[in-house]
Amino acid sequence: MNALFFGSLILLFAASALQMIGSVFKKEKLSKIAWIVFLTAFAALSVFIVIRGFSAKRVPLANQFEFATAFAWGICLMLAVLRLRYKADWISAVAIPAAFIVLSYAALQPKEITDLMPALKSSWFVFHIGSAVFSYSAFIIAGCVGLRYILASKKENADELKLHRMDYMSYRMIAFGFLMLTITILTGALWAEQAWSSFWTWDPKEVWALITWIIYAVYLHLRLRSKKSGIKMAWFALIAVPVVLFTFAGVNTLIPGLHSYG
Amino acid sequence: MRFGIILLLLIAAVSVVGSLIPQGNEPAYYAKIYGSGHPWILLLGLDNVFKGWVFIALTVLLSLNLTLCSVVRIRKTVSEGKDLLENVSRLPDAGSATPEEIGKIKQHLKSKRCREKQFDCGTVYYKNLLGRYGTFVTHLAILLTVVFGALALSLPIVTDQTCYPGNSITMKDGTEIYVDSFSIEDEEGNLNYNSFVQLTLSDGRQSEIQQIRVNYPLSFRGYKVYQQTYGTAGSVEVVNARTGGQDVFILEESAFLSTDGMNGIFYRDLYPGFVKDGNGNYTLITSTSGSYPDPVYDIAIMSEGEQTDVLAFPGDEITLGDFKYVFNDPVEYPGLRIKHTPNLVNVLLLISFVLLTAGLYMTFFTVPSLVKVSGTGYAVAGPKPEADRIEIEMILKNGETNL
Ligand code: HEM
Repeated sequence: MNALFFGSLILLFAASALQMIGSVFKKEKLSKIAWIVFLTAFAALSVFIVIRGFSAKRVPLANQFEFATAFAWGICLMLAVLRLRYKADWISAVAIPAAFIVLSYAALQPKEITDLMPALKSSWFVFHIGSAVFSYSAFIIAGCVGLRYILASKKENADELKLHRMDYMSYRMIAFGFLMLTITILTGALWAEQAWSSFWTWDPKEVWALITWIIYAVYLHLRLRSKKSGIKMAWFALIAVPVVLFTFAGVNTLIPGLHSYG
Repeated sequence: MRFGIILLLLIAAVSVVGSLIPQGNEPAYYAKIYGSGHPWILLLGLDNVFKGWVFIALTVLLSLNLTLCSVVRIRKTVSEGKDLLENVSRLPDAGSATPEEIGKIKQHLKSKRCREKQFDCGTVYYKNLLGRYGTFVTHLAILLTVVFGALALSLPIVTDQTCYPGNSITMKDGTEIYVDSFSIEDEEGNLNYNSFVQLTLSDGRQSEIQQIRVNYPLSFRGYKVYQQTYGTAGSVEVVNARTGGQDVFILEESAFLSTDGMNGIFYRDLYPGFVKDGNGNYTLITSTSGSYPDPVYDIAIMSEGEQTDVLAFPGDEITLGDFKYVFNDPVEYPGLRIKHTPNLVNVLLLISFVLLTAGLYMTFFTVPSLVKVSGTGYAVAGPKPEADRIEIEMILKNGETNL
């Protein structure tokens, strides 16, 4: 089973390298190969997650390794949807490396299958953590699109329509991520009340989810206000990514609290 | 909206501080960690940020600001709703298009399942008009969440209690919680601490006897009983050989079992298990996460002024004078949390949550489309015209759209 995981990791690395070279040197063929390698990595990772779920006899989202793996998978899924459905080929050069980095973080975590601790045995588990996976992935993709916007806008005679599409896509990803993060926070509150008796305990993980939520609420308002969009919002989407990553990994490792399940 | 954004950023900033400085500890804790800076932490209330006046004031201001914004916006949205389609039909063309392009735009709008209405100045294609109320619903739900959330956090009366199986806890209002049985592990030996409890209100109304475990509290008429923690206590039966009298002592902390204050058994502690080496020496295991696999009593026999330290195991008996001390299997007991809240608050909070999710869904996933198409061009209207604008631009540029 580990072979599948490390296979996906290596394939994602290869796809990242090929895609970057393909993009920098404008080699269409390399980009095409990178895409195929990426799809293979995505498929392998999907199979790995399914097998892990069957072996553990539960949804494989119970610890930092499983969550990070699902997070990387979520980024891959969204990248695949954006390319296949919206023909956003330009996103691969940043999104594939992003998925690789998140999966590398997963690779550093303890990988053994552990029993669920009693507090995690709840029907809220899937909704709370599943929505977090989609929310974080969407925010990362929004940051990737933001980065592509910044790079593309630097070019002389940049294609205005393409920039406009990128800006809109970044906004849509944030809108989706915001809805998912709201669901994460609300289901978390309902779950906390079932498990610990209080909807909200100001645990650091809760607080950082709230901070992330507020940051993206500010993004949404700034974008609506006087129709600010374009380069400033692209920078915002990019700079907000470390906040998401801190909420995801930093809080668990740097600040102790109820969510430190390991 | 600018003031609202500033408030949001301030709330985020205060929250960062609240997450980095451990909250709700004793002053001595801050003195130890922050040294000479600790008086500032206490003075500024940084030890309890989320209950401090700064955070509360910011939240109240945000709620007022949100109320004001929402009232202004909803009036505008409602008034714009009157004759909306006709007004859109009167918009001047924002872009021109050839008849062939206009055909493609119409085709595209139809494929998006827009409805159409003819006016003198052109045809208006529209859909998802209810989506115009999405942000109002979102903001209203946020307000309700803040209000009912604050109530749900401040109103409950919470009590933590331990109770041995077969005994009851009586609350101040006369409510009684009876613990029928308790176990730390299930039949397969997995950690799954659970109790069977029954709640009786002071007026005599009674719940069924129900199993509770983490995530599955008993809920009855505004009361919730949570399976919170568990513990294991020693159990020693003392029999008076002369009178035949007997008593069982449940021991959670050190105790001296003696009638004369001189002779008897001094109970120090109970350990979950032990390892015995080849020389017969015992090493005690000091902690475990489930049931005690091999419980050991750490005791001292006090007899005629002499103290003998020994280990006793369940089933062991020690006789001292007229008294026999029998060491039983330890007693496993639950730590319960009992919470009393007006049920209505929880229901209203739940409704706010559903409304918030629905509001955001409406805002982002039922975005209104309002496009006027005339014989010579088109105009896009509505609160969020971006998507339609880009799609039409793509049609005009590439002949297709894949936004
Ligand atoms: C926790 C606080 C808040 C959250 C989570 C929130 C959320 C939202 C969301 C999700 C949108 C829709 C954004 C979009 O469609 O892209 C929105 C729009 C808006 N918000 Fe807020 N909001 C908050 C506070 C405020 C406050 C305090 C104000 C006013 C001062 C405000 C004023 C507005 C306005 C004017 C719009 C645009 C409305 C429209 O286009 O119909 N919001 N808000």
